[in-house]
Amino acid sequence: MKINTKGRLSFPGGVHPPESKDLTCESKIRPGPAVKQVAIMLSQHIGAACQPLVEKKQAVQAGQLIGEADAFVSAPVHSPVNGTVKEIALQSHAILGRSMAVIIDADPDNNPPKLPCSEFKDGFDENKYSAQQICDAVREAGIVGMGGAGFPTRVKLEPNPQVPKETMIINGCECEPYITCDYRLMLEWTNQIVAGVKLAKKAAACSEVIIAIEDNKPQAIEVMHTALKTHENGDNIRVVPVKTKYPQGGERQLIKAILRKSVPTGGIPPMIGVLVQNVATAAAIAEAVVTGAPLTHRVVTVTGEAIANPGNYYVAVGTSVGELIEFCGGVTEPSAKIILGGPMMGIAIADLTTPITKTTCAITVLTKEQIGKAKFAGRQTPCIRCGRCLEACPEHINPTKIAHAVKNNLLDVAEDYYISACIECGCCSYVCPANIELTGYIKTGKIFLARQRKKMPE
Amino acid sequence: MLKNITVSPAPHISKPLSTRTVMIDVIIGLVFAMIAAGYYFRLYALILISTCVISSVATEWLCNLIRKNPKPTESLGDFSAVVTGIILALSVPPSLPVWAAIIGSVFSIAIGKMVFGGLGCNIFNPAMAGRAFLTACFGVLMTTWTVPATLDAKMPKISADNTLSAVTQATPLAWSKQAIKTKTGTHTVNDQIQATLTGEIGGCLGETSTLALLLGGLYLLIRRTINLHIPLAVLLSASVFAAIAYLINPDAYISPLTHLTTGGMLLCAFFIATDPVTAPLTTKGMWIFGIGTGAIIMLIRIVGEYPEGVMYAVLLMNAVTPLIDRFYKLVPAGGKPNV
Repeated sequence: MKINTKGRLSFPGGVHPPESKDLTCESKIRPGPAVKQVAIMLSQHIGAACQPLVEKKQAVQAGQLIGEADAFVSAPVHSPVNGTVKEIALQSHAILGRSMAVIIDADPDNNPPKLPCSEFKDGFDENKYSAQQICDAVREAGIVGMGGAGFPTRVKLEPNPQVPKETMIINGCECEPYITCDYRLMLEWTNQIVAGVKLAKKAAACSEVIIAIEDNKPQAIEVMHTALKTHENGDNIRVVPVKTKYPQGGERQLIKAILRKSVPTGGIPPMIGVLVQNVATAAAIAEAVVTGAPLTHRVVTVTGEAIANPGNYYVAVGTSVGELIEFCGGVTEPSAKIILGGPMMGIAIADLTTPITKTTCAITVLTKEQIGKAKFAGRQTPCIRCGRCLEACPEHINPTKIAHAVKNNLLDVAEDYYISACIECGCCSYVCPANIELTGYIKTGKIFLARQRKKMPE
Repeated sequence: MLKNITVSPAPHISKPLSTRTVMIDVIIGLVFAMIAAGYYFRLYALILISTCVISSVATEWLCNLIRKNPKPTESLGDFSAVVTGIILALSVPPSLPVWAAIIGSVFSIAIGKMVFGGLGCNIFNPAMAGRAFLTACFGVLMTTWTVPATLDAKMPKISADNTLSAVTQATPLAWSKQAIKTKTGTHTVNDQIQATLTGEIGGCLGETSTLALLLGGLYLLIRRTINLHIPLAVLLSASVFAAIAYLINPDAYISPLTHLTTGGMLLCAFFIATDPVTAPLTTKGMWIFGIGTGAIIMLIRIVGEYPEGVMYAVLLMNAVTPLIDRFYKLVPAGGKPNV
């Protein structure tokens, strides 16, 4: 049966940046570099940081637990390689600045590259596993949301009697320009994703699952659809194409587009009975439950016009950005911008020893020319109040007002205009004709507010 | 291998759009009206438009010098002064002396814009502020209308006070004022509806040709330089009030269509009221702003002493724009947070 691959479902606002996905969309997932050293961040997720369970000079095995925390919202970390712990030290972290990491020297003779899981065939039966077994496996494997936020998956999955989850949305939108890792996953690991979806559905006790894919990936839509047909046993799992628009893959926007529901400001999707999981997370769930393997590797898109050999690689978590870039042939331009993630929301880094974490989807390296084309390289001009940022804002707030309030240190005004509702998608900065870094100001304002609150007693 | 790595907040790519491109779009939108002005008023048009543009730009440069701006020419690059100059020129009578045009331009930029802090900070539309100043200082010059060069002898060349005159031509709205006073004679004005389409009527430089203004407005809408809210709100509210008056007494009040096509209504709807700096940010606010502008225009035209009213309507609504913006604050997509 032919499936309609055109999606009209969408949300108000948003922008249409150039997709630039053709650099890597045909590039199959290949094994990453054989690393000499990995740095496993003890904080790769939202929630409490892990405490190291290993000591300096201790020998570790691939898959061994090396960090854990007692807190409910947390996820353990594992070693991706066989080797010895070199030290436990501060390391550059893309979001936190500097953070503790376990640095492991890999044993050069005893480290075969990890290959993608090949266990999954058509007709996976999730009923071999109980919901509790699935949740336990997900917790022990240290799985976190792999789309970028890194919320511990176990916390999301476990049923909450107060707010039962009705719908689970599997996010295969990949709305960020350049990135293709989820697209390749859907094409190549189709059965594994379907298995993961079924397991997650069972664990979370959802009645319905919607796999949302942007309509610029018709092949992925068809492949997923066909795979579900083969697995068909009244599962109530279906593929829904959605309109190609940034930030369609933001969970609040995706829920709005598909279910026409709004997640309350400051709230999370479970409050309205919805659960959103990334396709990569679904694949990780399947592997963890079936083989018991922890999350130690992930697919990373290494892309950008300044990369010699862009592609999708199955990389050990903890590999340094510099090593991965070297593995891809290095950069072709003398001067570049290195971004962890895509160009809309990714974080530009200066330290090439920054390790890949469980949430790193991509490394995008832009050329000097492209940075020059981006207007932020130029001078900011005064706001002409044209209102383009208000039109583009998917959260329907007033970015220019908030940004100027932050600029003038009027944090109360910023709060009054709902600074907390910002999802930092970058649409406002993208469209601004006056080159104002609205998103940057809003992020700064949020940090200032968080600091203020910490100082004040409850 | 990697030197000079740039670090900056996301996003790292951006839409190829700048204030300059926005202003150039407005200038292109105004080209149609400028061509019409050049066709009907010949040399007058050329002299006035170039005078206003040059003196506006020069004023901004001088103000930058006075403010000790380290790069006094940098802000000229956004072409906002050029736009102000063109709009001012298009909204003054063709026979305005050059010296008066210079005074108007200097006031527009210096007092209308630069004293507030330059582009983006002004409260009032600079061109309208300049025009208001000219109207207050040189009332007679601002209400003397020359005959379009293409107009042949068959049109009655009468001035607003109904005396025969060979060189001046009353605007349709000046006639309509006469009609309101005498409660008769609106047909003379309504009959000119066809002439207003091409622009073969008396009036300010850029306001006469409906066709040119519509083309320019359409261009801005297609380019998404402006959105439909403000023009639609202005025109709808003006036509509603005009229709009410027309239905009450068609002999005293001219038809709504004539109101829409004369006296700079379209220039206002597409180019003046849509000035982003002085208009509200939110959609609801834009509608309030547009409805208010249209209503005040009609109030002045029907009840007030002035025949036109666009200028005062825009200036008055500019003054309440900050209030509108504060009143119609956006509510986030997920509703107000429970704090």
